[in-house]
Amino acid sequence: MKKKSLGLALLFILLVVSAIGCSSSSTTTDKDGKKELIVVNWKDYGSDDPEVIKEFEEKYKVKVTHQYMASEEELLTKLRTGGVGKIDVILPNASILPIAIEENLIEEIDSTKLSNYKNIFEQFKNLPENSKNNKIYAVPWVWGSTGIAYNSEDIKEEVNSVNILWDEKYKGKIAFRDDFNDAVMTAALALGQNPNSPTNLNEIKSKLIDQKQLNRTYWKTGDEFSKLFAGKQISVGLMWSGQAAAMKKNGEPITYVIPKEGAIGWVDNWAIVKDSKNQDLALKFIDFMLSSKFQENWVNSGGPNPVNTEVTKNLDPEFVQQMGINEETIAKLHFISYHSDAEKKTWNEMWQEVKAK
Amino acid sequence: MNKKWWLVSPPVFLLISFCVIPLFIMVYYSFLSDGTTGHLTLQNYLNFFQKGFYLKLTWKTISTSLLVTIICILIGFPMAYIMAKVINSGKNIILIAIIIPFWTSQLVRAYSWQNLLRDGGILEIILRKLHIIGPEPLGILFTQTAVIIALIHIFFPYMVITIYMSLEKMDTSLIEASKSLNAGPFTTFWRIILPLSKPGIISGSILVFVPSLGVFVEPRILGGTEGSVIGTVIEDQFFEIYGWNFGAAVAFILLMIVFISTTVLSKFAKEEV
Repeated sequence: MKKKSLGLALLFILLVVSAIGCSSSSTTTDKDGKKELIVVNWKDYGSDDPEVIKEFEEKYKVKVTHQYMASEEELLTKLRTGGVGKIDVILPNASILPIAIEENLIEEIDSTKLSNYKNIFEQFKNLPENSKNNKIYAVPWVWGSTGIAYNSEDIKEEVNSVNILWDEKYKGKIAFRDDFNDAVMTAALALGQNPNSPTNLNEIKSKLIDQKQLNRTYWKTGDEFSKLFAGKQISVGLMWSGQAAAMKKNGEPITYVIPKEGAIGWVDNWAIVKDSKNQDLALKFIDFMLSSKFQENWVNSGGPNPVNTEVTKNLDPEFVQQMGINEETIAKLHFISYHSDAEKKTWNEMWQEVKAK
Repeated sequence: MNKKWWLVSPPVFLLISFCVIPLFIMVYYSFLSDGTTGHLTLQNYLNFFQKGFYLKLTWKTISTSLLVTIICILIGFPMAYIMAKVINSGKNIILIAIIIPFWTSQLVRAYSWQNLLRDGGILEIILRKLHIIGPEPLGILFTQTAVIIALIHIFFPYMVITIYMSLEKMDTSLIEASKSLNAGPFTTFWRIILPLSKPGIISGSILVFVPSLGVFVEPRILGGTEGSVIGTVIEDQFFEIYGWNFGAAVAFILLMIVFISTTVLSKFAKEEV
C-alpha cells in the first residue's frame, strides 16, 4: 500500500511539472493583429503609466505589455531561462549588465537610430558597464544619487560634508542606512577611498563602528525614513535624491545636498533583448522614453532625474540645483559599478559584523 | 489497512512537495560552494563558526527568545488560571480579546509599537501625565527592550491558550481535595496545579520559543542599531546578496537549535507527571 501511495504522489508531481512546462507560448501579435512589445520594468516606474504609453501605442499601432521584476537578479534569471526571444525591452543596471553582455543575452544598440541619444549627459554615455569593445549595449534613462538630507529647522549651519554623519553634535539624531553597499561606499567617501573599489576594508569597518553609536536607528525602506523624519525622531541622514524631492514637495523642511566628498549615484538603462522580433519598435520605444516630453512629465510628477539635457532648461532652477542635474555635480557622483558575488559577500559580511558589534 | 488511505494523499503530497523536498533542497544548498560551478563543501558551516560575531548573534537570539518565553509564562499562567478556574462567565470575551490581535498583520503591529514607544509618543505622554517619568525622553524605541515587548505581545496568546486548555481539562475537585487534606495554597499549586498543567506550559513554551528564534521584522523595525539577530542575517543573505548557500547554512543551524530545544523540552514534559 505504501508503495502505491508513493507512486501516486510521484504521478501527481509529474502532472504538475508537465502542466508548468506547457504554459502558453507567447506570440508577438495580439488578437487584433496588432504587434506586441514586451517590456520588463519595475512596477509603477514611468513606462507603465497607461496615459503616457497610449501616445506611443497609437503612433506605432502597437500594444505595449509590461512584465514586472522584483530585483535585477530576477531579470537576469528571466533572460537565462527562456526570456531571450520572447521579451523585447528590459531595464538593467550596472549590477547585471556586464554579465548580460558576456552571456550574449542582449543586443548591440545602434545609437544613431535614437534621435534623443545626442541629448544625454556625456557622463552617462561613458558608463563602463553600458558598453563592451566600443559597442553600446544599454542606453541610460533615469538616474539618482544617495546624499545627505537634513531637517533645515533643526540644523542651521551649512551642510556640505558627508562627515556630518560622524558629528558628535548630532548624536541620536542621525539615521544611517542599513545597506551594505551604501554603508561601504559612504564610509569610503568619508575616508577618501575609492567608493567603488575601496582598498582598506578594515579602516572602513572601524569607521562604520564609530558611526553606529551616533545613530538614532538604521533605516531600510524609504517609508521608514519618511516616518522617522516626519515624527522628528531624526534630523539628518543618508537619503535618496528622489525621495528627498518628494518629501520636500509634501511640505517637509528637508534639504538635500550632495557632499563635497561626492555621493553614490545610480543609473537605470534600457536594453534590447537578444533575438527580439521587434528590434525597430524596441528602438522607437527607447527613443520615446528618452524624449524630452516624457522625461519632463515624469520628473515633474515625482519621477527620478532625467538624463536628457534638454529637459533641464524647463525645470524649476532650484530643483535642478538641489538634485544636482548639471555636469559639475554629476561628475562628483560615484556610480555604483559592477561587483562580483564574492566582493558583495565580503562587503555584506563586514556590514553584518558592524551591526553585530 | 483502511481503504480510505487516498483521503490523506493530498495533505501528504502537499507536505512532501512544499515542505520536505524544499527542506532537502535547502540542506543541499547549504553544502554548496559559491560560484557558477558549485561543488560540495563544508565552508559555509565553517565560516559561521569561525566568525565570532555570528556566534555572538546566535547567543543573543537564544537568550532573547528565552527571556520572551519566561515572561510569557509569567503573564500567561495567571491569566489562563483565572480564565479556567476562577471566573465562570466572560471567558469567551477574554479569548476573543486575546485572538483579535492575530487578525492584524505582524508588520502593522510592529509599526504600531513604534508609535506607542517612540520618544514623544503615546506611552511617554501617558507616563508623564501619571508622573511616573520626568521630562526626559522615554528612550525605549530602538532598543532591545522594544523588541522584547513586541515579541511578548505577538507570542503570549499561544502561551495563554495552551495553558488554558490544560487547566480546563484538569479536574477542579483535585484542588478541592488538596484543600480538604489541609494543603496550603502554595502546596496545592506546587504539587497539584503546576504538575498537571506542565504539558500546557511546555507546548506553550515551544510555540513561543521556536518562532522567537526566527523573527527578523520586529528586531529590524524596533531594535534600531542593536536590531541584528540571526533572522536578520538570514534575511540579508537571501534578499541582499542572493547568498543562498551561506543563508541556507545559517537557516539550517537555526533549525538544528529548534530541534534540540524542542527535544529537550518534550523530554522534560514526559518526566514524572
